[in-house]
Order: sequence, then C-alpha cells, then structure tokens
Amino acid sequence: MRPIETRYARSGDVRIAYQVVGQGALDLVFVPGFISNLDLQWEDEGYSRLLKRLSAFSRLILFDKRGTGLSDRVDSHRLPSLETRMDDVRAVMDAAGSGRAALLGASEGSPMAMLFAATYPERIRALVLYGGYAHFHKWVMSPERLETFLETAETSWGTGATLPNFAPGRLDDTHFIQWWARFERLSASPTAAAALACMDAGIDVRSILSSIGAPTLLIHRRNDVRVDPQASRFLARKIQDAHLIEIAGRDHPVWTGDVDRVSDLIEEFLTGQPAVADTERVLAALLATRIYDTAKLGDRMWSERSQRFHETWRLLVGRHGGRVAGTHGELMIARFDGPARAIRCAAALREAAQQIGVASAQGVHVGEIELRGLPAGLTARVTMQLATHAGRGDIIASRLVAELAVGSGLHFVDAGRVSLEELGEPLPVVQATSEQHLEPACRSKAKPVEPAMLTARESEVVSLIADGKSNAAIAAELKLSEHTVKRHVANILLKLDLPSRAAAAAFSARHAGPDGP
Amino acid sequence: MLTKTKAVDGAAIKKAIESRDGKLLSSFYADDALVRVMDRNNPPSKPREIRGRAAISTFWDDICSRAMTHKVDTTIAEGDSLAFTQACAYPDGTKVFCAATLELKNGLIARQTVVQAWDE
Repeated sequence: MRPIETRYARSGDVRIAYQVVGQGALDLVFVPGFISNLDLQWEDEGYSRLLKRLSAFSRLILFDKRGTGLSDRVDSHRLPSLETRMDDVRAVMDAAGSGRAALLGASEGSPMAMLFAATYPERIRALVLYGGYAHFHKWVMSPERLETFLETAETSWGTGATLPNFAPGRLDDTHFIQWWARFERLSASPTAAAALACMDAGIDVRSILSSIGAPTLLIHRRNDVRVDPQASRFLARKIQDAHLIEIAGRDHPVWTGDVDRVSDLIEEFLTGQPAVADTERVLAALLATRIYDTAKLGDRMWSERSQRFHETWRLLVGRHGGRVAGTHGELMIARFDGPARAIRCAAALREAAQQIGVASAQGVHVGEIELRGLPAGLTARVTMQLATHAGRGDIIASRLVAELAVGSGLHFVDAGRVSLEELGEPLPVVQATSEQHLEPACRSKAKPVEPAMLTARESEVVSLIADGKSNAAIAAELKLSEHTVKRHVANILLKLDLPSRAAAAAFSARHAGPDGP
Repeated sequence: MLTKTKAVDGAAIKKAIESRDGKLLSSFYADDALVRVMDRNNPPSKPREIRGRAAISTFWDDICSRAMTHKVDTTIAEGDSLAFTQACAYPDGTKVFCAATLELKNGLIARQTVVQAWDE
C-alpha cells in the first residue's frame, strides 16, 4: 500500500493541506476541531482507528484548517472570518473532486460544517456534528475562562498542559500525554494556538441553524468536559432534520474514548445500514494484572501507589512490545503477539510492583480475540479469572502458554488445574518462575523459609503429607476436592522451593512444633 | 395500455455512466434490484450490498457527484446478461478500475455485481 499522500488545495492565497483515504461510494469530509495535524493523527491509536473505520465505508477527505497542522498560518493581526475558513472546505472538496459530500464536524469544526451546509446546500448530502456548538462563549468557555486558557497556552504550550481541558480521562496515560504535547507542538506555535482560540471565540452561528436542510446527526458525550452537552440539545431543537444521540463519556476529542461507538453511529446514519461487526480475530497472548490485597493499604496510599503502578504498567507493556487493551474493574489487560513477551512483561511488572510497595497477581492465557475494543471473549475471561485466582506475586498461566513458550528460556512449574465456570474441564495451569538470567548476578543470601509463609490450610496439608497420606486421603479428611489439594501441594512446593512431597514431609518434620509446621 | 420499455443495453449504460447521469442510471434498475460491490474493504464473503432502487439511486448520486472521468469499455451482452468494464480517474490522478456483471429481468437490471480496484 502506498503511503497516504498529502496534497494542497488553494483557497484564495492560502494553501490547505488535505488527504483522501478510502474507497467508498460516499464522500465524507472530516472538519476537525481546534488543532490538527494530518501526519501526526495517524500515529495515535484512537485517531487512526476512527479514520480507518470511517474510510472503510466512505472516501474520507481530511484536511488541516488554515492556521493549524500542515496548512498555512493566519495573520494573527487580521484573523479571517468563519465564512473565509468555511470556504476552505469548499476548496478542499473541489480539489478532491467531490461535488457532494457528507460533512463530519467535530467540536470547533462543527460550526464551520453548519455554515457550509447552510451556504452550499446542494453540496451537502448529510451532516454529522460531534461535540458541536453554535456559540463559543455560551457553551465552551466564558471570556474569563478563555483568558485563563490563553494564559496557559502562552506559558506552557507544547508541554501537553492543555490536555486536562480536553481529555482528563487520559491523564494517567504517560504515552498519550507525550503524544498530546507533540500534537500541540506540531499543530501550532503558541502564537498560532492563541490565534486559533481567538478565532473560535468569535463563533456564533445561531442565526443560520434554521437554514440547514440536510439530514443531521448530533452526537455528544454526556459528560463532555470541553463542550456543554446543552450545546447539542440546542442544535437538536433548531436544526429541522436533526437527531441527537447522547453517549457515555467525558473526554472531548472524537478520537478518544469509545471511538467504535461513534463510528458505528456515523456509519449507520450515513449508509442506512448498521455497521457490520468487525469480527477480525487474531491470535494473541493476554496478560491480566491486578494489585493483590488492596485492602491492606490505606485509601490515600492505595491511590498513590495504584496510580504509579498503572503508569508503570503502560510503560512496561509498551517496552515489551505489547498493547494496553484497557482496564476491567481492577484488572489491567494488555495484549501481546506472543506468550513469552507477555510472561516477561508480567515478570517485570511483578518486580516493579515490589519496588512501588504493592504486590501483583497476574494471569496469562493465549487464544483468539477480536481486534475491536477491549478483549471480551472467552480468552479474555479466562485470562481475567486466572489473574483473580493468582496469589500474591503469582504469574499463573494456562499450560498452553508454557507449551508455546518452549525454547524461550522461561521456566514454569505445574500448578495443577483451575476450574473455570465456562470450561467443561478444569484448565491445566502453570506458574511462571523467574528467569535465571534476569536474577541478580550476586544473589542475596536466601532467606530461610519460614513455616509462617504457608497459609493455615497449607500447613494442614503439609502435616498430612508428612503422615504419608495421598491427595485423595487428604481431600477426604479436609473435605476438599482432590483438585484443590493438588493445587495446595503445588503451592507448598513452590513456596518452600522443594522438589517433592517427600521433601515437604521432611520439612514438616523439621519444623513441627506444638502448633504444627 | 401496456407500454413496452426498451431493455437496458450496453450503449445506454455507457452513455449514462460517461455523462455521470445518476438519475438516468437509477432508472435502469428494477424496484427490488440488488447491487453488490466487492473491493478491498468489502471482501467476497462480506460484500457491500445496496438493495432497492432508492438506495441504488443514492449510490449513483454519490458516485456521479464526483468530478471524475469514467470510460466504459468492453460491453458484452448475451440474453439477459450484460457485462462491462469501466476505467475511472480522479482529478488527482487516482485511477479506479471496475468490472461489472448484470442480470436483466423484464428489461431492467435485477442484480449487479461490481468488483473494483483502486490505486493505493
């Protein structure tokens, strides 16, 4: 596939950069918000996901508005009117050979799209407005808040400092924060950013709303942090053929949050057919990580350490070639191309957790998953159950993971079987142990194993092993399943670093006291 | 009184496509016609299906609104079956090539399958 070509349309004396992607019968012009950069947007996972989804059913025409990204800058002393900026859409459509198109206006792009729809009704097929508004000061920022925003831009533009104004949900994502800072720098200089903000501040298209005749879909996130959802409710009342759908979420940019939900709505509205579920499945190794025994930490300490661990998790997943898939309750889910990478990442996370002052518990499984969204199928559910089952510091993996990782140098010990609700047969599992070469060259003197490391139940089991009883006999005596006993035995051998039941019996004899081992 | 509609033929299709006349093109289809499009995004196991004259009319309106050139070649007709190839070009030089087969019923297009490839 050839790289996406960036071309330049001429709008008066100004050059507007644009790209065309996709092969659909319908032309869709994306009018972006505050700042944009045609090259950089493809580097963000959410952004490129959105563009790929839209270009799967349309010929998608993208551009950077004048003043941002790859397009010419504007004279900050003579800011162009919204009409002039709107005409850039026409110039881009002409250059791309588009006579009639659907327009997707996002955020600040929506007033421009509305003005275009009212001015050139014959060139509009349909209108989609995401997080849109008709009056800047009423629904985005009061003049006072704008002043504060401009001051922040003046002093810290290019550092990602504006992110809390747009996507507070991504503030714990260091990778995204760095991307956002680059996004600021490559989209505008501080002067250009201030010019754009001032241009946007003048937006008031309330008077033209009744002239819009194109079928219009309005999408707004219910807790949008940047644009008040009332803005879209107002548009729904004033645009004659408009339909508003409010969706969950608070992050404002259209390429953040649940991008698939937004894409589904747009596709169904423009094609008249529900989006065909993207059932692309890939073989992947999933790693589910949780912080073990959270109750022992106070709320404040928990919050601080949890945040640090989340940041470290994102970093280490990326460093091990994985992708952060998302979180499910307290579980952090990451996806890897191969099981060895997942296990190595899990080992690094275990170590990192110790340094942070928390303990990890992790599960790894391998299987087919759907590429779209947070893994939710059987493979994901098994992985999550393994993580829930794992004890302090454990990395529990399905035996399949160990079999696939043969030759990787990783070490596993049998950890019995785990009964999972959805699987008919208990799943054979293994415990990943530290790799030899990852351990320090000079090992600190091994701590003598203390019987206290064993749980009360494990102590009972070890006593019965010392009596020479079989697993079946122990199970009968303790009223447990044989499978559970096997799991206890495996844990005991692992914790005490012993090779056999006989060694465990000998250990029990050595440590037997009035209260048992 | 029954009026006999002239059956759609290769020459009529060529004229309508090359002049980007979406309305004329739409009039060639039966009310319940089906157009299936296969391309990179719509593989043979999941082609894009456009059902009914209204949807097909929107489809051709979208295509014909583009400032591009179309050239229809190699029209083959046999009974109620028609086939043609079509070479298209966008103003930026991007080329598209399509091959289409059509089944006619009562002189109108009942079913059309389009396979297309784009410069990329």
